[in-house]
Amino acid sequence: MSSARLALADGSVFEGRAVGAPGHAGGEVVFNTSMTGYQEMLTDPSYAGQLLTLTYPMIGNYGVDAAVEESGRIQPRGLIVREVAPVSSHPLSTSDLATFLEERGVVAIDGVDTRAITRRIRRHGVMLGVITTESAEDALERVRALPDYDGIDWASQVTTERQYGWGAFAEQNRLRPAVESRANKAVAGLAQDSPRKVLLIDGGVKRNIMRSLTARNCDITVLPIDATAEDVLELTPDGVVWSPGPGDPQVQNAQVEETRKLIGNVPLLGICLGHQVIARALGAGTFKLPFGHRGGNHPVRDERTGAVTITAQNHGYAVDPEGLTASAEVSHVNLNDGTVEGLTMRDEPVMAIQYHSEASPGPLDSMGMFDRFVEMMDRAGNGR
Amino acid sequence: MQRGPEVARTIRRLAHEIVESNGGARDLVLVGLLTRGAPLAKRLAAAIGAFEGESPPVGKLDVGLYRDDVAHRDPPPPVRPSDIPRNLDGTTVVLVDDVLFTGRTIRAAMDAIMDFGRPARVRLAVMVDRGHRELPIRPDFVGRNIPTAASQTVDVRLEEIDGEDAIYLIEGAERHGEH
Repeated sequence: MSSARLALADGSVFEGRAVGAPGHAGGEVVFNTSMTGYQEMLTDPSYAGQLLTLTYPMIGNYGVDAAVEESGRIQPRGLIVREVAPVSSHPLSTSDLATFLEERGVVAIDGVDTRAITRRIRRHGVMLGVITTESAEDALERVRALPDYDGIDWASQVTTERQYGWGAFAEQNRLRPAVESRANKAVAGLAQDSPRKVLLIDGGVKRNIMRSLTARNCDITVLPIDATAEDVLELTPDGVVWSPGPGDPQVQNAQVEETRKLIGNVPLLGICLGHQVIARALGAGTFKLPFGHRGGNHPVRDERTGAVTITAQNHGYAVDPEGLTASAEVSHVNLNDGTVEGLTMRDEPVMAIQYHSEASPGPLDSMGMFDRFVEMMDRAGNGR
Repeated sequence: MQRGPEVARTIRRLAHEIVESNGGARDLVLVGLLTRGAPLAKRLAAAIGAFEGESPPVGKLDVGLYRDDVAHRDPPPPVRPSDIPRNLDGTTVVLVDDVLFTGRTIRAAMDAIMDFGRPARVRLAVMVDRGHRELPIRPDFVGRNIPTAASQTVDVRLEEIDGEDAIYLIEGAERHGEH
């Protein structure tokens, strides 16, 4: 197996083995602490423009299975792991991780000390880096040549090119049976036979959001990120979901304006980037976290009930509640660092969460947020 | 110990000292440590602007994750937004805080600042130096030296946060933070 190296913006270089495609890949180096779900993470559009470090030491032991993909391609520029399992085994596995990376042209490195890399990022913040299977000498040069991650509109690069209905994909894209039956049960008591019409603004959506809403009798149409408020309202939806996505919410000024026009006119659920866009539309600010929240064990407290749930998270920016309009309030708080994890409006059907209720990968504790959204839509619909 | 107008006078004096020592306001960046250093830095910048005609840029810095006791705190320190207004390379950074105590916050702040760039110099301005240093750290600009016992607490209160400008020395109160 040929060699590879990872160079970081602070000048450190880690030697390892090449496990994906040959070449070089640059991006913002981030880490995720989840133990499983590497394929979901690799296909999560929120990793666009990044190099993903997985802190769990052995990755790939259950192979890959097309059915668990969260989007149609590998999203991070590169993958950094301690050890890619040489043998994989799972009844649904159709291939192994190294082949999967190689076939899709993604550069990856293993045999590096991911704990040391993670400690460096925790200490000094996320930084740019380059994985290269080519000469060692120019690795640091390549890091210096990388553009600043924050200034790039990554969400516009991963959004859908044109509007489409999810219905055509719904049948071959279902939740795991146990999760689906729970979703069906949760909404069975709500009296509505015809599907709810949900529009989804795609800044880098994960399929499990669509799967989760489909199981709750929603008919989903996906719109590109540059959809205007007029485009949305013209389609007379029962509710709108603003998706997760990559990058700094500060570059989404146009979308903040459009979202402001939606508030009060249609029930709204924001997740991750969607939460940040809604927060900005409500007057709050956003800032870059030192090293982000990426993993499957982030405790979040619901400020209304006091209940704590363990959530899946993937975000590098957080909402600064200063400036938030008085008609909105912080509904969820992260117990690790006190940052905002959710917002609601007092008198309008608007809810937003920073974490991933769709999990995938991660704990399913927060799936109930989709039930709340469905209830919110039904209440608003009955009031009309 | 000190009331509104006196606090304002002290800030004006500190502003003059900072500009004198720097030979003007050029390449100066004031960085306030959260929470109370941030409004202090803003006031210092405004005071400098009033007599120099130009206010230096002001930043704020959250040092929670750089503290040497970060792993021992329960709950862990909250993460709040840092905001550094410009590239710090070659600048004179003045760290601004309300109370200098053990010096550990300032050590953490120096680590944090280095992750934002390479200033030519880093200086330290504090409203109150209460002694009891645990590290070899010394302020460059001091509002007031207040000799204290370890059991006492120095409470700097600012209009922007606490609704009044004042400095209190509280007997036997529980230490709510280490400076």
